Amino acid sequence: MKSRPWAYVLVRLVLIIGAAVGAGLIFGYPLAWVLGSLIAYLGWHLYHLYLLERWLRIGGRQPPRDAPGIWGTVYAELYHLRSRHRERKKRLSRLVKEFRKSTKALPDAIVVLNADHEIAWVNRSAGDLLGLTKGDRGQPVDNLIRDPVFVDRLRSGGLSRPVRIQSPAQRDVSLMLQEFPYGKRQRLLIGKNVTAEERLEKVRRSFVANASHELRSPLTVVSGYLESLIEDDELPEGWRDPVLEMGKQTGRMHAIIEDLLTLSRLETAEAEAEREPVDVAGMLALVRKDARSSSGSPCSMELQLDCSSGLLGAESEIYSVISNLVSNALKYTPPEGTVAMRWWCDDLGAHFSVTDTGVGIPAEAIPRLTERFYRVDKGRERSSGGTGLGLAIVKHALQRHGAGLEIESELGAGSRFVCHFPKDRLALECASGDAQDGPDSDQETPDADNVLPFRNMS
Amino acid sequence: MAQQDISHHYSRSFNEELGAVRNHVLTMGGLVEEQLRLAILALVSGDSDLGDQVVRDDHKVNRMEVSIDEECSRIIALRQPTAGDLRLVMAVVKTITDLERVGDEAEKIGYLAARLASEERPRDSYRALQHLADLVAALLHDALDCFARMDAEEAMAVVERDEAVDAEYEALTRQGITIMMEDPRTIRRVLDTMWVGRALERIGDHAKNICEYVVYMVHGKDIRHLSRDELPFGPEAGNEAP
Repeated sequence: MKSRPWAYVLVRLVLIIGAAVGAGLIFGYPLAWVLGSLIAYLGWHLYHLYLLERWLRIGGRQPPRDAPGIWGTVYAELYHLRSRHRERKKRLSRLVKEFRKSTKALPDAIVVLNADHEIAWVNRSAGDLLGLTKGDRGQPVDNLIRDPVFVDRLRSGGLSRPVRIQSPAQRDVSLMLQEFPYGKRQRLLIGKNVTAEERLEKVRRSFVANASHELRSPLTVVSGYLESLIEDDELPEGWRDPVLEMGKQTGRMHAIIEDLLTLSRLETAEAEAEREPVDVAGMLALVRKDARSSSGSPCSMELQLDCSSGLLGAESEIYSVISNLVSNALKYTPPEGTVAMRWWCDDLGAHFSVTDTGVGIPAEAIPRLTERFYRVDKGRERSSGGTGLGLAIVKHALQRHGAGLEIESELGAGSRFVCHFPKDRLALECASGDAQDGPDSDQETPDADNVLPFRNMS
Repeated sequence: MAQQDISHHYSRSFNEELGAVRNHVLTMGGLVEEQLRLAILALVSGDSDLGDQVVRDDHKVNRMEVSIDEECSRIIALRQPTAGDLRLVMAVVKTITDLERVGDEAEKIGYLAARLASEERPRDSYRALQHLADLVAALLHDALDCFARMDAEEAMAVVERDEAVDAEYEALTRQGITIMMEDPRTIRRVLDTMWVGRALERIGDHAKNICEYVVYMVHGKDIRHLSRDELPFGPEAGNEAP
């Protein structure tokens, strides 16, 4: 019966109709008998439907009542379905509870944001670190995390890169906030407590600065004695070369320490460089003059100025960017080669490039070029006297100006270093270039075809 | 049906406008908080450049005040808000005035910090001022949080915390007088530090005002200039907004 309930129902219906027809044949009015018995059959079903509805309404929690025929099967199936459903719900809520517990234990603040930056869900650490509570659901997140840097980045969609802010809930706690998109335009905002790392970084930086500073004074003494030794006429002939070499090496150490100090100054300074007008054209002319006179570099240098405007930035830093790039280029370019500097602006901002026809850089070395003390070729460059810190300084100085460095190179053919300055760093009409002693009148060259090539004289 | 859709759309964009104006007030609040933080940092670390930067950036706060002010006028003119919406707009107008003043006080602190940077630093290296500044910054922060969350009860609690700021300012003044009496050569410097303390105390008052606007916005009751016993409702008498 359980296995095929519908056959049973059918058999029963046929039996009822058969009995009604039989009774009609015996007592007359067979149609009325059939009709009456069908109505009774329908009534019986309706009654059971009514019972089922009432059972469902109280929640179907009681075990199913005994019901005859097809109704028994329906009750059993329903009960079965319900208990299975309940089981699944229990499992699911257990899972959710586990998930909640684990996110509670997470030390990072987690905030789920919807497409309008409204808070959809927060974990417990978000309360400790960001001061957000469960009641803040639906609130735009920048109403409660109001740090201007964060708000700017949130609105411009630039939060895929982490941003460092002060915790709004705790003093002296710094947070690194980053946003990850997921699902249907949902976003996950993760806040990490970086106070300890920041402190460590600070200690490291001040160690480098202090160590460099401490090394400087003994080195000055040593190089002072060496200098007087070099000038001493009574120096035995066999000593001259070693002393000269020592003098050269102390000079190099001096340069390294100066560069280390510059680097640590750049690192400890505020993230943004100041915005003093800088006359780039004059500075380029100066760098060109300096480079030629100091190193007596034999290769020819070209300067092309396609832009009359200067930059808003820190003069000393922009100078060290330019001079480091130029001296690098000169170092690796053979005497018959060319080093070309170019300064131009377009819709994206201002650009400065140094192109040389030197030895070039292997492709795998380019990403590591701005690391401190990184050498492309271990053997070669020690002799050329660089400090190994020049490009690191360039990178940091550019970062402080919101600028980027692009490096292209081909082995044997030459390299091209391009600095891209953002538009808001552009000083539209540069103030007359007073401090610079630009020897040539190269300030007023606004159009691109007005090229001023400077050939190496001497 | 079509008409219903239009009215629905109408009120939704109105709601969005109110949400936006609130959001702008809080952005302005964030800017002011940052200005205050930097001004105090400039003072404590003796960084005159940072102090100058705070002075330079004050125009950003002023510009925001003007634009939010315009936004509110437009809402009143076009939407003619009533009841809670009107109270929100009124509270916004008042809040930005206070925030702008806080910005001015921060600018003043930045200016004094730049000036004090070249002077000899006091023995406690402004620890008392730093403490007062921490109290005030927390007060301002919590006041803006209350504004964001429309939390009138918390706002009442913040209002009461202003007394701690006043007491701290009192102690700072007394300390300053003592130092000046001990060594008259410090008078100039101590007077400047007292101005900073005064500015901080004023910021505390502005934060308190903002909290009072929050209570007004939520309950529709003006609690300004009332003592604690005169308040029409305590923290326990919750939602009796008209």
